[in-house]
Amino acid sequence: MALIEVAGIHVRFGDRVVLESIDLAVPEGEFHGLMGPNGAGKTTFFNVLTGRVRPSRGSIRLDGEDVTGLGSHRIAAKGVARSFQIMTLFDDFTARENVMVGLPGFRARGFDMRHAADGDHGFAKEASEVLTTVGLADKGDVRAKDLSYGDRRALEIAVALGQNPRVLCLDEPTSGLGSDGVRRLAALVGRLKGKLTIVAIEHDMEFLFSLADRISVIHWGQVVARGAPHELQQNEWVKRSNLGRFA
Amino acid sequence: MASPLLVLDHVRKVYTRGRLVRHPTFTLKADLEIDQPSIIGVVGPNGAGKTTLFEMMTGSNTPSSGHVYVAGTDIHRVKYRERDRLAIHYHQSYQVRRFRKLVPSVLLEKSPTSAPMVHLFDEPQFNLQDGYIGFMLDFFRKLRAEGRLVVLCLHPTATWHLEVLAEIAEQYLLVVDGGVTRHPDFAALTNQARFRNYLGAEMTRAADALCAGRRAVPS
Repeated sequence: MALIEVAGIHVRFGDRVVLESIDLAVPEGEFHGLMGPNGAGKTTFFNVLTGRVRPSRGSIRLDGEDVTGLGSHRIAAKGVARSFQIMTLFDDFTARENVMVGLPGFRARGFDMRHAADGDHGFAKEASEVLTTVGLADKGDVRAKDLSYGDRRALEIAVALGQNPRVLCLDEPTSGLGSDGVRRLAALVGRLKGKLTIVAIEHDMEFLFSLADRISVIHWGQVVARGAPHELQQNEWVKRSNLGRFA
Repeated sequence: MASPLLVLDHVRKVYTRGRLVRHPTFTLKADLEIDQPSIIGVVGPNGAGKTTLFEMMTGSNTPSSGHVYVAGTDIHRVKYRERDRLAIHYHQSYQVRRFRKLVPSVLLEKSPTSAPMVHLFDEPQFNLQDGYIGFMLDFFRKLRAEGRLVVLCLHPTATWHLEVLAEIAEQYLLVVDGGVTRHPDFAALTNQARFRNYLGAEMTRAADALCAGRRAVPS
């Protein structure tokens, strides 16, 4: 049984059908890429997967449990973390504090600014470990707004990883990064790969085709193609296109 | 025997001008029956009636006379919200679900099918660089293999558009001045003077080259 099992997800907003019917099964430990043109419904699908949008039809199972229609915090509690296309960090907090406020233990204790500022050593240590994972070991005391764009991206992933998720959803992780930033991010994601299940929306095809185990191509709110990168690259039209370059 | 996938039975759509004395300004006439799953290419100049034809097929616009049957069901008798379970209309990269509602939905019937049998792709945005075109064409083949009817409308403005049509479509509908004619293959379509007029000289040469078995563009 796959860790994530999505069947027949349909979403409409009034007259607009955003997702016609999406099926997806992601086994534990897989890196599954989602690609597709703008407006194809990729982010809406993420919103459904993470409980921000309730589907009109269809079901989502997580490790066999039906989680369709659960709110985002309930889904997060079940081990689904996500990063956003638009970054969502606390700019005036340090990198370590940003990770700390996302730690499940810290959140369970509730927000308390007296503690949030200098913190509990246990949480601070845990947050520092996560920062080390994403290559920000020496930037724990830097305020989020003073970090470079690439470091902020890495911090966003650290915040998600701090929740110790089983599933990490990344929405266009390379967006806005230069080629050096993309390389660093690829190295980071490469280290995470296999340790947890990753679902990533991505427009950078080189990034996606070099890292993903399988890719689903979404268009018109449906999965129009799916396969391992080398399988998708067999298509004659793909060979003639820019995608063919990564073969 | 199973009902034909799509029947346009003496469908007429007349657009008129004037309140007291109505002058017809445009008439679409369509009579056709498609029994088997297939991929159909639709071509024709702007204003020839392609969109109106699609609207008739999806039930989003009411015919002046005649009937449209999708898998045996008169789509114009089905509840508006359920018509997309029979026929579905994709315009460029979006999906269209707007219906001209003349009859209250409660008086209409439920759709007998849950997944659409007819898929209409109205000028899907193709480009050669990103490779999606290959995935889309495979998607059309998959739908057909699942027993669906795929209708693809394309404006050939580049030679590879013609390649796409010639590769994917098994038959063609040519829409000109509100008239719809059916052609069994790309060569038969290319022989039509009205199609050649619509294409223009350069595209006609490319179409002839494709028919002669030569690739239109060196790859």
